[in-house]
Amino acid sequence: MALGKGILIGHLVTLRRFLLTFTHDIRTGKALKRRGGGDLPVDLFERPKTLPVIQQDTETEGIFTVEYPDERLPTYERFRVLPVLVYDQEDGNVRCTCCNICAKVCPPQCIWMSQAHSPDGKPVTLPEEYYIDMDVCMNCGMCSEYCPFDAIKMDHNFEISNYERHQTHIYSLQDLLVSSEYYAKTHPDAYASTEQVTERGKVAKKKDQRLQKALQLSRG
Amino acid sequence: MSVQSTVRPEWTVVIDPVLQKELEQHIFVTNWPKLLEMIDTVYNWGRRSSLWPLGFGLACCAIEMICSACSRFDISRFGAEVFRGSPRQADVMIVSGTVTKTMMPMIARLYDQMPEPKYVISMGACASGGGPFKEGYNVVSGIDKYLPVDVYVPGCPPTPQALLNGLIALQKKIDGESLADAVWYKPEVERDIPVPVLGPDLIDVRFLEITAEKTAQGVLDAIQADMPKPLIIPAPQPEKAEEPAAAQASAAAAPMSAADKLRAKMGGAKPAEAPAAEAPKPAAKPAAPAKKIKKAEARPSLVWLGNDKLKALSDRLNGEFGAGTSTIIEAGLLIPADRLLAVGKFLRDDRSTRYDYLASLQSVHYEDCIEVNYHLDSTVHPGTLIELRVRTDEAEGKGEVPSLTDIWPGAEFQEREVFDMMGVRFKGHPNLTRILMWEGYAYYPLRKDFLEPYYEGPTKVFDSRVEEGHGHHFRSEELNPYGTNLKIPRGYEDWDKLSSNDDVKGKNLMPGGVQISELETDQFVVSMGPQHPSTHGVFRMNLRVDGETVVGLKPVMGYMHRNHEKIGERNTYLMNFPFTDRLDYLTSMGNNFGYALAVEQLMGDDAKVPERAEYIRVIMAELTRVASHMWAIGFFLNDIGAFFTPALYAIEERELILDLFEWASGSRMMCNYFRFGGVAFDLPKGWKERCHKFVYDRLDGKIDELDKLLTGNEILLDRCKGIGALTAEQAIAWSTAGPVLRASGVNYDIRRAAPYSIYDRFDFNVIVGKNGDLFDRYYVRLQEMRESVKILKQAVRDLPEGPILPGKKSYQIKVPAGEAYSRVENPKGELGYYVVSDGSATAYRYHVRSPSFINLTSLETMCVGATVADVVGILGSLDIVLGEVDR
Repeated sequence: MALGKGILIGHLVTLRRFLLTFTHDIRTGKALKRRGGGDLPVDLFERPKTLPVIQQDTETEGIFTVEYPDERLPTYERFRVLPVLVYDQEDGNVRCTCCNICAKVCPPQCIWMSQAHSPDGKPVTLPEEYYIDMDVCMNCGMCSEYCPFDAIKMDHNFEISNYERHQTHIYSLQDLLVSSEYYAKTHPDAYASTEQVTERGKVAKKKDQRLQKALQLSRG
Repeated sequence: MSVQSTVRPEWTVVIDPVLQKELEQHIFVTNWPKLLEMIDTVYNWGRRSSLWPLGFGLACCAIEMICSACSRFDISRFGAEVFRGSPRQADVMIVSGTVTKTMMPMIARLYDQMPEPKYVISMGACASGGGPFKEGYNVVSGIDKYLPVDVYVPGCPPTPQALLNGLIALQKKIDGESLADAVWYKPEVERDIPVPVLGPDLIDVRFLEITAEKTAQGVLDAIQADMPKPLIIPAPQPEKAEEPAAAQASAAAAPMSAADKLRAKMGGAKPAEAPAAEAPKPAAKPAAPAKKIKKAEARPSLVWLGNDKLKALSDRLNGEFGAGTSTIIEAGLLIPADRLLAVGKFLRDDRSTRYDYLASLQSVHYEDCIEVNYHLDSTVHPGTLIELRVRTDEAEGKGEVPSLTDIWPGAEFQEREVFDMMGVRFKGHPNLTRILMWEGYAYYPLRKDFLEPYYEGPTKVFDSRVEEGHGHHFRSEELNPYGTNLKIPRGYEDWDKLSSNDDVKGKNLMPGGVQISELETDQFVVSMGPQHPSTHGVFRMNLRVDGETVVGLKPVMGYMHRNHEKIGERNTYLMNFPFTDRLDYLTSMGNNFGYALAVEQLMGDDAKVPERAEYIRVIMAELTRVASHMWAIGFFLNDIGAFFTPALYAIEERELILDLFEWASGSRMMCNYFRFGGVAFDLPKGWKERCHKFVYDRLDGKIDELDKLLTGNEILLDRCKGIGALTAEQAIAWSTAGPVLRASGVNYDIRRAAPYSIYDRFDFNVIVGKNGDLFDRYYVRLQEMRESVKILKQAVRDLPEGPILPGKKSYQIKVPAGEAYSRVENPKGELGYYVVSDGSATAYRYHVRSPSFINLTSLETMCVGATVADVVGILGSLDIVLGEVDR
């Protein structure tokens, strides 16, 4: 082996990569396309209307830089940050029935919950209080995985940096609630999956029965 | 705006109001506040656009921090790419990961050394408030207990994008600052943090008096005395002696029933079901009248010697060393402590057994004894694993067992760990000091009678979370009279002796046998780490150097000991999955795999993995191997001087693999994807196609590119060839594992030696090196990636359709009583999980045989005689991850 041959080869590898980033783009016609903005042409003076998402394909040499606040990585549906509680958009029904399963599977035990009671003291299938300590939560998604009522789900919002933790990092029921519409937007596949559709059907039926009963009572 | 007070008098005198107004409209600077505002704008813009972070990482979050500095997220777009190795040149400290008590004095020192103005970003749940490890005995519950934090970035771990979001938040904060009220120009404001002291626990010197007072009162002990204690069971007894076993069990029935009640209250899976039809073992007989526990098949590991051969071996040992030498208990050999050395020597040297490889060493605290057990395997006859048991006194600090370091030097650190965690002394150990905690720490934490400062109950779920009348949020701090994660024995008196300048962790470990004063030449001791850019985390080495040559080296660790095993004994089996992710955080899928196998071994046919799930598991494990080896090679090259180009090349492919993980499991690093009997979710639509494309079209080319870029490079060859070599015999004796072992020419890969899952179906080669030097370790890793791609290609091609779990998904896992040791070939080496189940919802004992930790045992041997620069390379070639070293 001649002295320095290996080093030279190494340099050639990096040079090749450097050149390829340009030639590949030109060859595939991507050079004048707006990166991540679909097939629109480059526009230096106007920002794209929607937030560009950089989906890395497997063909391109190297890797795209995701210029974060202006561009994003694609958010996969299963991506999990912090849990949220879902309520039904149409009637405001909180799906959580306070069955405690989320608290029972929570590995770091960051969920606190207590059941609501009707004025005469009977337990109601609703949470009275619900807390998640996000300084303890490990984003493992166990709660949403084992929730039998599709009530607790993992949110996608990761932009939650803040300057204070003692007040803001404990999420109460009010902070956690999101609408089913929001959930359907973030998790379209899961929302449309047969299990969740059946579950929603079951709940709707139950709600309907309850309503009918109440109506009958009022008529009678 | 009323500016009267600050406007200079001569201005107000000279300028008439009309002119003043005119001036304010057309000229910027008319008064001091305006001038200041303008200066502030420029000053803040300059500062916020060149925030230099301290190159300082603690745990899992640090990996995401490094990723955000790499090409995909590119933190340099914010002017923060200059990660400084020295705190004196840094502006912002990104506290990335779990802050442990052992590390806290170092962090306080680093913070004090940073020049003003300085900022702190607390990255991740652990740094903010203790995170999932908060309940641990060695974890600081939030860095804000000591340092003023500017920005919190929640998440576990926050993705690189989330960190950038935090950085932007910090920039916004800086934008709002003003020179006029900058704290750092006010000499009267004390910004330095007094360095906390490692005494009986981590003592904050600011609250020394209060702490001493509270300790004397003994409030915590009083509170904990009333709490339900962890269950403690008697040790399993030999099968033959049924009568004494039954007597003991019934004697133990009274305290156990109380514990049972407790279990029932906890709502865990109550082991009350009838024993299964299989009852060939007499041990499964209902010896204890109190309850019937389903027992798992007695076997130390999935692939082992076998019952018949074990019987023969036991008889042989009894013949050789006299009756009573060996008794079979639960498929392990109970050896009396006084004959252990002789038996060990025999097992290692005898031609027919050749147990030359000490796979794992751990201890279990039983009611009547502490059992130290050893898993032995042979590299000559792989797959003949046996387990030795030695029992010793249960009382705290009384237990003593002969040290096996003379027979298997690889036992050195593992014995120290047992000493540290259980208090068992090893007679004849060369350096029996605490390894993960520090000398002077008041407790032996893995003993069952040790209750942590934040102890809430023996098993999860804690009552306070769900039960009637509770359910109000509280912080663990409120449970503890000290208000922080602190526990000190009541009799502690030596408050005056505590000093911030003490370094108890490193003190007893100065390498070499000679005193410095005796020497004539200039030898001196260099402490490298725990904050050092090339120690791959918070690892520390005490080097004794003679000029440039290393003459002695002692690793110091425990700076990231976050109590994985103690927490694992309180977690239900299912809960432990996400914790295993955080062991070796570069290979979370592999960690899941090993843990799933261990519990599945106990569950037997209840957790039979469906075909599709097996394939998915293998695909994930091999993708993990590629990702981890990419990282290892990249950062190894960093260590030997090729600063960052190879690392950036390697991390690109890792990022793409992480994309696949995130798509399937929901998280880049902490996948939490395996479940007992399968995987958590099926692969999403389109995943397989993308993976297929990635594996078939891209990965090979990229590995070739890396090979071409590096392997022939003369500088790399010069730095690597012949450095840090281990011979095959040494590598086996030191219990090294994985690429380190194979680079020394030992053909020992768990995937072949003790096949698990469906690895026997795939065609791949075990890569073996020749010389065991740095180059071979690097090259074995590179070629192993190619073999992984080979497996991946077959697995992706053959991936069948079908279910991914054997039954319905359930959070109630019923694990029969028994013990299991699972072994997987993780990228770092043999990863083993030792689980003892008592039939309840939580593991009775849970131990991780971590390859990174045990590979470090041979570090001194490799480094002596090398130069300081080579030490960095040697450490890099071991590819350690601190989450796994310290657990």
